[in-house]
Amino acid sequence: MKPLLADRTLRPFLLLIVIVAAIWLLDGGQGRFFTAATAFSVLQQFATVGPIALGLGLTMIIREFDLSVGGMMSLAGCVAVLSGVGSPPLGIAAAVLAGGIAGLCQGGIMVRLRLGSIGVTLGGLLTFGGIAYVVTGNLSIAYPRMDIAMAVNQKILGVLSLRSLIALAAFLIAAFVMARTRIGRDVYAIGSDRRAALVAGVPVGRIVVGIFALSGMLAALGGSLLSYSLATASGVALTDALVPATAAAIIGGVSLTGGKGTPIGIIGGVLVLSLLRAGLNAIGTQPSVQDIVTGGVLLIVALADAPDLSRRLFAVQVYRKRAFG
Amino acid sequence: MTDQTARITWQLPLPHSRRGRVLVGIRLVAVLALVAIAIGTPGFLTAVSLFSLMNTMSFIGCVAVGMTFITLSGNILSFALGATLSVTAIVFVTAQPLGLAGAMLAAFVAGAVLTGVQGWVIGNFRANPIIVSMAALALITGVATFVSGGQGVYPEDATADVLKGRIFGNIPIPLAGFLVTIAIAQAVLSFTRFGRNLHMVGSNWRAALAAGIAPARTIVGAYVAAGLCTAFAGVLMAARYSSGDMSLGLGYDYSAISAVLVGGTAIQGGEGSAFRSLIGAFIIAVCQGLLVLHGFSTQVQYLAIGIIVLLVIMLQTLADEY
Amino acid sequence: MTAARLATEAITLEPLARQSAPATSMLSVANLSKSFGPIAALRDVSLDIAAGEIRGICGENGAGKSTLVKLLTGVYRPDGGSITVAGRPCIIATPRQAQELGIALVAQELSLCPDLSVEDNIWLGSLQVPFLHKKPELRRRAAEALVLLGAEHIALAAKVASLSMGERQLVEIARMLTRDARVLILDEPTATLSDVEIARIFAALLAVKREGRSIIYITHRLAEVYAICDRVTVLRNGELIATVELADVDRAGLIELMLGRPSDEMYPEETRDEGPPALVVESLTVPGGIADFSTIVRRGEILCIAGQVGSGATEIVTALAGLAHDATGRVAVDGRALILGSPLRAARRGIMFVSGDRAGEGVFRRLSIFDNLVATRLRDHAVFGFLRRGSLRTTAAALAKKIGIDRRRVRARADALSGGNQQKLAFGRCLDRGAGGILVMNEPTRGIDVGARAEIYRLMREFCAAGYALVLASSDLEEVLGVGDVVITLYRGRQVGRYRRGEATMHRIVADITHPVEAAT
Repeated sequence: MKPLLADRTLRPFLLLIVIVAAIWLLDGGQGRFFTAATAFSVLQQFATVGPIALGLGLTMIIREFDLSVGGMMSLAGCVAVLSGVGSPPLGIAAAVLAGGIAGLCQGGIMVRLRLGSIGVTLGGLLTFGGIAYVVTGNLSIAYPRMDIAMAVNQKILGVLSLRSLIALAAFLIAAFVMARTRIGRDVYAIGSDRRAALVAGVPVGRIVVGIFALSGMLAALGGSLLSYSLATASGVALTDALVPATAAAIIGGVSLTGGKGTPIGIIGGVLVLSLLRAGLNAIGTQPSVQDIVTGGVLLIVALADAPDLSRRLFAVQVYRKRAFG
Repeated sequence: MTDQTARITWQLPLPHSRRGRVLVGIRLVAVLALVAIAIGTPGFLTAVSLFSLMNTMSFIGCVAVGMTFITLSGNILSFALGATLSVTAIVFVTAQPLGLAGAMLAAFVAGAVLTGVQGWVIGNFRANPIIVSMAALALITGVATFVSGGQGVYPEDATADVLKGRIFGNIPIPLAGFLVTIAIAQAVLSFTRFGRNLHMVGSNWRAALAAGIAPARTIVGAYVAAGLCTAFAGVLMAARYSSGDMSLGLGYDYSAISAVLVGGTAIQGGEGSAFRSLIGAFIIAVCQGLLVLHGFSTQVQYLAIGIIVLLVIMLQTLADEY
Repeated sequence: MTAARLATEAITLEPLARQSAPATSMLSVANLSKSFGPIAALRDVSLDIAAGEIRGICGENGAGKSTLVKLLTGVYRPDGGSITVAGRPCIIATPRQAQELGIALVAQELSLCPDLSVEDNIWLGSLQVPFLHKKPELRRRAAEALVLLGAEHIALAAKVASLSMGERQLVEIARMLTRDARVLILDEPTATLSDVEIARIFAALLAVKREGRSIIYITHRLAEVYAICDRVTVLRNGELIATVELADVDRAGLIELMLGRPSDEMYPEETRDEGPPALVVESLTVPGGIADFSTIVRRGEILCIAGQVGSGATEIVTALAGLAHDATGRVAVDGRALILGSPLRAARRGIMFVSGDRAGEGVFRRLSIFDNLVATRLRDHAVFGFLRRGSLRTTAAALAKKIGIDRRRVRARADALSGGNQQKLAFGRCLDRGAGGILVMNEPTRGIDVGARAEIYRLMREFCAAGYALVLASSDLEEVLGVGDVVITLYRGRQVGRYRRGEATMHRIVADITHPVEAAT
């Protein structure tokens, strides 16, 4: 059991099993939950949060953080909806391109000016959000192609949809790159010890810029697909996407200290979160409970990753020893 | 020894003063440009117009002062201040049967506890402040919505209407409250032991620890101060809108951190002041006012703030890279 | 079993390798010079290292060893002189060029990523790795390199985080081998290793030597020079003093070559009587650092703890300052027990810490000189938490005067000061704290120029005169001898000797901290 738990990629999937079991028990065998419809809604949720969580997770693996994903997501939605009326794939391509350029700029600023990612992406978040507001005129703009909205959400094999398939494909490509290619190895090296990677000859600057470009592109992909499926885009997003995406990445085994975590693990993290939401919905709790659960999980993980936790625990032990023995 | 000395000499940067001068120059040019545009804009430089600008900034300003404490302490920002504002507003409205003072006290306690717990987690265990604040945002929003059932609360009597009025002749109470908050916060930062400790902890956590300054306690203090300022903003807003609900503080975290950074407080912590946040809030207000007078929409204002923040963050390297 | 004995055993297995006469020249350096401003870090150094030779390089701190390494690895460019690799004259302008020429450095701080596997680390950053990086061919070559080093027990799939320090060193060397390094430079590779691990490294180095590759071995530990090197080059003050066959020189002679300079007059005389004991330390232990250390420090006295990197001197002072959370042992300040592990508790009992790592844990660089000077004494100048600005100002002005910083500059930011002046700030912070003070210092003069050093030593005596007790951890032996009233020598976590002023000589101390086995005999 212990080696199973120690495997960061496997952990979210174990958690998944536990949650399924728990929901089954809570459900009391009424069959409210285990239907193809819930599976479909879990996967739709996965398609929404997944790409953003993946991009954010990749930036966390190199020990940075991309706060701008929320702003990028809403901006991309606007770009896709506005430019994709004639040809929907073109809209997505335009949005992803915009995301890539935006990420490239952010990464470039960080590497060139040696700035922390938090500050730069905070500026990026506000700027992208601002552009989205300007583009939409602070209104939600409708996407006139209902056929596309139907198409991306069309059920495939009962539980999947075009949207969730695209998200899944993004994850699988990322998983392959991270596990099998030199670039993936370099990414882990940078997150593990940036100085050592630099000394060993890893092109650190290029990879950092590339990861932020990728994060921008993934957020844009998620945002444009979401906008297509809702047939609307608006400038309001900001943290709405950021918190669940962060939680998913962290549950999925990505460490705040960098160098750890895999795309497959992040899939697990996103599924855990989506399943919790769907499960809590199905057994009839209020939506606010989902927030509480997400927040609680984030807090626990932040604590577990805190550098001084062990020191504090040690201090407690020493005091106990002194007091009682 | 010689080669170590040599290494130090080798790495000597450009004279610091020159970098500083470049930075001051850029800021000066920016402010002068702003002033020039302001003068060139008919109808802007009237007292009424400036006054109303500042008045609209007073709620954001109070939260920005709170955020200043967090940024100064080296913990960058909190995403949970907006939610804290909403909760304190709800608490204030709910507690109004206790009288004005009692209700305000309840709101202050609520604000201090909500952020103080985050400060404790961050200061004691050195947990990641961004993640903790995200967790707090989700928890506060979730619990508050759960408890209130997602409904806003409305006062049953007019206890809080006093806060809608004006004092000292013609100054609206929110603006007066904002200025008082700035004054108190600046006094705490400049003239108390806690304030100086906060600068040290934010400037260099390890050096503060090694020097025997309690970093954990100081960080808790910073978060409590942030909670108090936010709670004050919550009280003022609840009085102004005669209601309290979870949407009151939406987006206030971003506006607040923008004001803090535009004012020139360093994002790495240790350097800055409440007064700078006042300047930052003022600059943002002026920009917004100018954009409105020149016929730009509110949306363009959002974008402008975003770009200003990005530029300010990029400018900080000029001062800090050596 | 000691390092030396294990090492000699390793060597006796390979007597032939040691005796084979060096033939061709692998790396040749002629009249290499480098200065930084007015300071000459390296003057006219000429070396000739043969293929298959292990060359030791010795010298005190600041002798120019690390400058030489940086010139050879392309970090610095020389002011004059030439470098020839395998008969071809070349210019090494960047680290990449050094790599292409086959010159590889194993630095004290390893460049391994702990979250990556051994195999990935070996190939990290290599230009030979294709896009799909997991190739059987590469795995085979990595395994071969490990086998050559006698490290076949290290699994290629294991995470580097799970390896011991010695194993990591071997992985780093294996990486250099796969990059076809012809000249391997090792900078103090054994500083943090255990005896067994040192023996392993030595065996690996001899295997590398047998391949006909050359090794430059930089160390403070003379025992290791004798155990593994063919010849040794001694540097002093940036100049090459001698290159000798180890058979021709004994330990005493080598130490003579390393020191050989009169100590200057920068150390003020002690002026004190036997004071009362201020600090009593009993069986202080920091896991992985220092074992069972006991001592007494009296008021008005400077205790110097001398030791090289990895000796445990740093751990002693950081533990006393409360910065080592896993330190155990009994410490009493003025007869009252102090519980270790909290810098706050230590500070409250009057223990103040001055670190050589000024930027990291010494000075608040973004704050003003004023703020830095009064940082720790705000409590004394506050009424109900409110500071009395006037009295703080006078205090800061008085302190600035004492440490020799112009009082008109106290509003300037601390990072506008030179390193020496920054360090004086850290000392100034500790001045005038009543008679109860204990000052613990870790390499306080690291990277500081001579003038500022003299002032810092003067300040230390001032502390003594004010009744402070001082504990100083240092690897700068001249400093240790110059300022120490009592000198304790450490070797790898254990105390070797304890001397009063006058009893200790440079030879004695060098012997203790480099090779205590011989010193005992």
